[in-house]
Amino acid sequence: MTDAVADKAQIRIPAPDKAAQLSAVDRAQIDASVRPLVLWFFTTGLLWLLVSTSLAVVNALQLVFPDFLGFSFSNFGRLSPVASVTFSYGWCSMAAMGVAAWLISRLSSRPLIGKTVATLGAVLWNVGLLLGVISILTGKMSALTGLEMPSSAYAVMLSGLGLIAMCFLLSFRNTGEKVSIAAMFVIAGTCWLGWSLFAGNLLLATNGVNGVIAQLVADWTNSGFVWMWLVPVSLGSAYFVIPKVTGEPIFSGPLGRGCFWLYIFVAGLTGSARLAGGPIPVWLSSLSASAAILLLVPVFGSIYNLIASCRGSRRTANSPSARFTLFGLGIFFSAVLLNAVGSLRSVHYMVQFTLFDSGVAALVLNGFVTMALFGAIYFIMPRISGCEWLSSTLISIHFLGAAYGTTMGSLMLVFSGLASGAALDAANTSFRQVLEVGSSYYWGRVISFILVGLGYAAFTLHFLLMALRVGQPGGEPTLFRDAHEH
Amino acid sequence: MSRSGFLFPILLIAFATSLGVTVLIPHAQLGALTPDFKEEDGLVSDVYPNVPGGLAEVGRQVYVSEGCQTCHTQIVRGGDSADVDRGWGSRRTVARDHVTEHTPVLGALRLGPDLSNVGSEKWRNEPSDDPYKPAKRDASWHLKHLYNPLAMGEGSIMPSYKHLFLVRKITGTPSPDALQLPKAMSAPTGSEVVPTPEAKALVAYLGSLDRSHPLKEAGKATAATTPKK
Repeated sequence: MTDAVADKAQIRIPAPDKAAQLSAVDRAQIDASVRPLVLWFFTTGLLWLLVSTSLAVVNALQLVFPDFLGFSFSNFGRLSPVASVTFSYGWCSMAAMGVAAWLISRLSSRPLIGKTVATLGAVLWNVGLLLGVISILTGKMSALTGLEMPSSAYAVMLSGLGLIAMCFLLSFRNTGEKVSIAAMFVIAGTCWLGWSLFAGNLLLATNGVNGVIAQLVADWTNSGFVWMWLVPVSLGSAYFVIPKVTGEPIFSGPLGRGCFWLYIFVAGLTGSARLAGGPIPVWLSSLSASAAILLLVPVFGSIYNLIASCRGSRRTANSPSARFTLFGLGIFFSAVLLNAVGSLRSVHYMVQFTLFDSGVAALVLNGFVTMALFGAIYFIMPRISGCEWLSSTLISIHFLGAAYGTTMGSLMLVFSGLASGAALDAANTSFRQVLEVGSSYYWGRVISFILVGLGYAAFTLHFLLMALRVGQPGGEPTLFRDAHEH
Repeated sequence: MSRSGFLFPILLIAFATSLGVTVLIPHAQLGALTPDFKEEDGLVSDVYPNVPGGLAEVGRQVYVSEGCQTCHTQIVRGGDSADVDRGWGSRRTVARDHVTEHTPVLGALRLGPDLSNVGSEKWRNEPSDDPYKPAKRDASWHLKHLYNPLAMGEGSIMPSYKHLFLVRKITGTPSPDALQLPKAMSAPTGSEVVPTPEAKALVAYLGSLDRSHPLKEAGKATAATTPKK
């Protein structure tokens, strides 16, 4: 808690936290010290984002024209996992680590310890990912859905992650009376990532794990990657950004903490939901379905807490950080709701193995995680660059492209999944008819990716300008255009 | 000052619970599964599932490497699902069906049909009376389908796997392996389309996929032709 919140905190809390006493000069020094590391995370992340979005466009076109760019290395079967890993391990993870690095140093009120080591770690992570991507494209793919990259790629990424996590955990210290909710989410996410990638790959390397259990390990790792690493960091970022923008403390600390713990325990049990009804024990199907429904409680609690924190604040309407974050939370709300509905036994049988799941995943990753990370980057960049964002028009293009594109693209997948799922469920239809029903939505997906691509390109340009310190003079934050009209 | 001490122990409990419940307990339950077999007078027979051998095993690697599992599942569901009624299998698939595979190719998405039993003669992808139903889905049908799925009249969105085939000039006697293609998609006069060893292996793998062997835990096999409702 710093900045405007600090004034309030000093009145409310008898022992004022040390972060609140930091002067603007101290804060600027801390920010400057993490600048190279954070910029490296964000820049590589954005490179992966552009690569992944381009591949996703090709992939979406291949559903309409099956032989489009159909070389051996770029057929649908290989390109689809590549688009997915470059998005989640490339863009989402790099951006999340950049946000985490900055948040940890700010929340601990000191520069990061071992920045150089962490930079080396980020290089290793990217090299490992590149190795994994090349492996998939050249046909050295693993059979396990969700863990398509070979274990050698994961080994390189894990060694990098070890260095990064070590730097984060050594740097973290608690400066207040209680650990802030933002810090709890970020630390939990970082610990989980190291734990699950290590444990998952180690288990798969042992001889005792075979058959369906191997896929359960892959699902545990893959689902945890989204729900226990990317989502917590995005929620942590929201818990930091929103009070900063409003200048008010979070609506309820106890609600935030309660939801955090419930979330961490429940989200870790949803891993096998995908295979429910398949060749896994019946109790496991029921458990993961119940967990998906129970997850509504901590997620809705957290979202309510964050939105209630914005009550009465005019600043949230015009701040890009708040708008991206709040939009992301709204999408997250619908994603978790769809996820719960989709795990109800009767609905599950219909939508399982259709694009419905991909639609929910797109809502979570493209709609929530990505938008919340953008929100955090809009907040962080002016502080590490010393200038404000150059153009509110570019921010608007980014928001409109990303928001409309993501929503439309995800809904196309959900609708396509529902339609083909209903057709699959009727045993007297031929598979040809199932495909026809589902395919009506493929063009919509192509268009949505063009919108998303435009938004991302606008942001990348804007980001590079900021990294080169081309922007408006510091002091007055760049808001959406309509802010100036009032 | 610090109350962060409690954070890490509770996180550890949460993380361990997650792995324990969703991976380790299922492993304790299913990890010791062995193939099903009959034993009479010390002689073991009728082992299922068998370790796939020779060409089919190579074909399995081609299947994985080409990413077939991106669009095809190998899971037949039971219960209220229509999988069995669609003709994708005679019973639901269970964990024992996969015990001989170190990493099973279960897949996640059905942009194409389920292939658990595609090697079985009873496998179908359309109602029995569908006019588009091919007379036979044998090795030669699969080779043609891999070479040009769009031309097989099934409204497929599967890409062509032309890179698993060679188009070459006929010198001397035409190859006995050459695909007998319909006119519209055949090679230019004087040339022939021959499958590479990878294509042959892949088709051998597809032909080996048959999980109709009855298993006690999979329940009674239903006749695949019985209409659902």
